[in-house]
Amino acid sequence: MTRARVSVGVMGGSIAALAVVLATAGCAGPGGPATSPSAAASVTSSAQQPPVALPDIPRSSAALADRPPVSAPAPVRLVVAELGIDVPVEAVGLDDQGRMGLPANPAIAAWYRFGSAPGSATGSTVIAAHVDSLVYDIGPFARLADAPAGTRVEVTTADGVVHAYTLESTAIVPKESVDWSGAFARDGSPRLTLVTCGGEFDYDARRYLANVIVTAVPLG
Amino acid sequence: MKKTMLAALGAGALVALAGAAPANAAETDAAMLSVLHGVPDLTVDVYVNDELTLDDFAPGDLAGPLELPAGTYTVAITAADAADASSPAIGPIDLPLEAGVNYTAVAHLNEAGDPTATLFTNDTTQLAAGEGRLTVRHVAAAPAVDVLAGGSPVITALANPEEAKLDLAAGTVSAAVAATGTTEPVLGPADVEVAEGANTIVYAWGSLEAENLALAVQTVTVAGMNSSPDGVPAGSAGLVATNGPDSGAGVWAAVIGGSLLAAVGLIWAAARRRAAAGAER
Repeated sequence: MTRARVSVGVMGGSIAALAVVLATAGCAGPGGPATSPSAAASVTSSAQQPPVALPDIPRSSAALADRPPVSAPAPVRLVVAELGIDVPVEAVGLDDQGRMGLPANPAIAAWYRFGSAPGSATGSTVIAAHVDSLVYDIGPFARLADAPAGTRVEVTTADGVVHAYTLESTAIVPKESVDWSGAFARDGSPRLTLVTCGGEFDYDARRYLANVIVTAVPLG
Repeated sequence: MKKTMLAALGAGALVALAGAAPANAAETDAAMLSVLHGVPDLTVDVYVNDELTLDDFAPGDLAGPLELPAGTYTVAITAADAADASSPAIGPIDLPLEAGVNYTAVAHLNEAGDPTATLFTNDTTQLAAGEGRLTVRHVAAAPAVDVLAGGSPVITALANPEEAKLDLAAGTVSAAVAATGTTEPVLGPADVEVAEGANTIVYAWGSLEAENLALAVQTVTVAGMNSSPDGVPAGSAGLVATNGPDSGAGVWAAVIGGSLLAAVGLIWAAARRRAAAGAER
C-alpha cells in the first residue's frame, strides 16, 4: 500500500517537473530568434567567390552498385555483467499499432532496426525487452530499474565488435510523458537507450503505466 | 526515490530540449543543393556564379550536398578543358534556391538526346515510422517509361524530365524500367534499398539509342523527416509492478487482493489513530 502510494507521488512529481521544464522552454521561446542572425552569418557562402581554392564538396559515384551500406552492423548481444544481463538481440521494426515490436520472450532483446546502431556516427541506439510475461516470467531487463550510474554496458555487433558504454541515467517515466522522438533520435552524439516497462500496472488493461528508460554513453 | 525524481526531471529537460531543436532547424536560412552528372561520355567543369566549383566532374557522379544561403545561383557547365564559363555546353541556367529546401540539380540528356539541366526539389516532408519514400526521375534520352516494382507497374507514363514518388514500407524493392505500356525492362530489374525515414531517389539516365541507360541513386534525409514508434509495450504480466492487483484482475485476485488491502488499511488506520492520540498527549 505504502509502496504504491509513494510511486504515485513520484510519477505525479515527474509530470509536474515535466510541465515546469516545458513551461520554462516555452518562456525561452521568444528569446530564440535573437540567436538566429549569428547562426545565419556562420553559414558562409561558397557563392561569395572564394579566391582560388575550390570548395571542398563531397563527391561519389551514384551508381546503384556503388551505394554505401545504408546502416551500420546490427547489435546481436547485450551484456550488463553487474546486473547478470546477457541476452541475444534481434532486429525489429514496428508492431501493427505503430509501436516498437518486441519478441514475446523477455530474455530476448530487440534493436530498433530503423534507428541508429552502435557504429553509427550519430544518434540513439535503442534496445528494448519485455520486463515480464505470463508465459516466460520476469525477464533480465527487470533489473535495469535499479541500475546505478556508472554501470558498464556492452553491446556486441554483427561484425564482432564490442561497444562499451557507461550508464548515465535511469528514469521511470509515465508512458504518456515519454519523449519517444528523443529516445529514438538519429541525430546528436552517439548513445545507447535501453527500454523496458515498470512502475505501476493496469491490471484491467494488462499494461504497465511507465517505461524504464536507461541512457548510456560510449566509453573512451 | 529522490534519485528517481531527479532522473525523471532529467528526462523532462531532455524532452524540452528535443522539442526546441527542430523549430530552430526549420528556421535555417540555408538551402541544400546536390548536383548529379547524368550526361554520358562527357567529363565537365561546373561553374557557379562564374566560379569553378566542380572540376573534372565525371558522368554518374553525385556531388554535395552543399549548404548555400537562399538566393538565385547561375550555373554553367562546360567541357572539362574550358578556361572559364564563357562558352558552356549546358546553361547558363538560374537556380532559385529557397531557404530550408533540399534540391538536386541534374545535368542530363533530354528525350531527343541533347544536353540540358533540370532543378528538382527533393521531398523531405515527414514520413510515417517504418516508411521510406521512393522518387523516380526520368532524365534519360528515351520516351516515356513505366516503373515496375516486383514486375508490376507502380509508376506509369513517366516522361523526361518528370519525377514520380511514393511512400512505402522501408525495405528492398526490385525495380525495373520499361517503355510505357510494356513490362519488358529496358533497365533492371535491380534491387533498390528504400531507406526508412529518407527519400531514396532513383534516376534513369543515359540514352536508349546509345544503349547506355543506367540507374543512379541518391538518398536524401533531413532532421525531422523520420517518425518515432508510438511507444514500447514491454511488459504484460505485472510481475514487477509497484502497485498491487487492486482493480479486478479476476475474482480470486480481487478477493485476495481486496481482503489484503482491507487488512492493511485497517492496520494503517489503527496506527494513524494511535499516532494521532500520541500527538495529543
